Amino acid sequence: MKENVNELTFYQELADLMNGHPDQYETLGEVDFTLGVVMANEDGEDLRLRLRFEELGCRDVSPLPEGGESSCDCWLEGDTESWGEMFDDITANGRATGRYTINSLTLVGDHIDVKGDDPMGVDRFFRFNQTIQQFFDGAAQLAPTPA
Amino acid sequence: MALAIDESVHGLPETTPIGHPLDWSWLRGTKAEWGMKPVPGRRGLTMMDIATGAYGEVLDEPPYRSMAPRGADIDEETPDMGYILNHKSQVWADNVIELYEEAVARQWSSTRDIPWNELQELPSDIEHAMCQLCTVLTEIEMIATDLPAKWMWRMNHHFLEAKMFLSTQIMDEARHSDVFRKRALANGGGLLLSRSADESLLRSILEAKTYTQASALLHLLGEGFILDVFRQGELIAPTHVEKKIFRLSMQDEARHVAYGTMHIRQAIAADPDVADEIHEALDHGEQFLIEFGTSPVLSSALAMLLGGGAEHVEDKGFPMQSLLATKIFTSYLARCERAGVNRIDRTDLPLDLLGINLDDFDRTGA
Repeated sequence: MKENVNELTFYQELADLMNGHPDQYETLGEVDFTLGVVMANEDGEDLRLRLRFEELGCRDVSPLPEGGESSCDCWLEGDTESWGEMFDDITANGRATGRYTINSLTLVGDHIDVKGDDPMGVDRFFRFNQTIQQFFDGAAQLAPTPA
Repeated sequence: MALAIDESVHGLPETTPIGHPLDWSWLRGTKAEWGMKPVPGRRGLTMMDIATGAYGEVLDEPPYRSMAPRGADIDEETPDMGYILNHKSQVWADNVIELYEEAVARQWSSTRDIPWNELQELPSDIEHAMCQLCTVLTEIEMIATDLPAKWMWRMNHHFLEAKMFLSTQIMDEARHSDVFRKRALANGGGLLLSRSADESLLRSILEAKTYTQASALLHLLGEGFILDVFRQGELIAPTHVEKKIFRLSMQDEARHVAYGTMHIRQAIAADPDVADEIHEALDHGEQFLIEFGTSPVLSSALAMLLGGGAEHVEDKGFPMQSLLATKIFTSYLARCERAGVNRIDRTDLPLDLLGINLDDFDRTGA
């Protein structure tokens, strides 16, 4: 499993990748979406972060306090192992495949859920889904994590 | 700020060279603001940017029923176009301008943006199931073009942005009909069965008595359901080509649902009696939806894809379909709550059978 998926810097690298290649997102169109990520670690040190997508980029990657995910349009909540499996699949195949796409993971099983205080906010996850998937697929382009 | 004709322009003729009368009063500006000069943002100049001052004032009951643009100096004798939807709450949603811009920005092409040459040869049962699903989808998607088209010409032009958004919906749904028709044909398969249950649902939507009833049936019930079918489609897509088709279609559908949810909410807020009208429509619509969702053709095709082929239809396909049905109807009931329509206490949907536990259900829709 990629070892840094539970570190904020990993998501900043994904954001840098997106921001460095707006041309790859141009055909998908602009985004206005704030996505929370809640990643539960076994040691109790949960990762909570906010991804702010604007126009053709990810403008902010910042930590969230406990419960801070409620300030987002919606958030993705799952355990580190499940997130790691998703990124492993992306790294191995160049993009998420089969049931490892973020839509599929949140549709079946109970490892990663999409949650929100408002169905309208949750619906934004679907309105911008291709962009979000492409953002996560960027993991395939990041330098391999040393074992 | 009006441009003063007497200060800047003098001696203009009163008639054309052949004697027709001329009106130069537009040189004095209008009753609305002159010189607003909205500033483009990084995206460019959006409809939100220009919805300023009087131009951004959307009245509850506009004084005219013509195509004259909101904010112009409108002739008192402008003709009545016969609009019947003349109250803001009948068509408007506060997110509609944002959704219009989003729709324009996120248009895609089924010809250009789908990597058709990367389709793969699939096992015969899977290809047949995918073609059957696409046959159903290409059939039903056009309802969401026909229905707005049926009502748009009856909407007061004062609510321009709502009509513009519905125009994007029409384009979106045309593209969905297009992309699923293409997918059915593109991999060596073809169009398969069309059955009457699908048509019953479509007819009930088209025959709605009011636009708000139609919107509840289309945006809240029908498109909410299809949004979840697209989510399933993305899950069961055999290759990344189909996954992209379903993801892009899902994005479009979610915009339509967002408009409908907010529109219904505002319609009820403006006139609580509208809730009864919506309940009446949904009472019928839900029955048709159950008939449609459990149709022998659609449910068998989905089960085949969910099971990964004929071998696992029974042990994997149908159990997963049942699980997903719970999610679909939970999402629907949550959206109804958000829209201000309490269906939980009224619906005839078999909630127990669908595995929906009302005790766990958050009435905020969360």
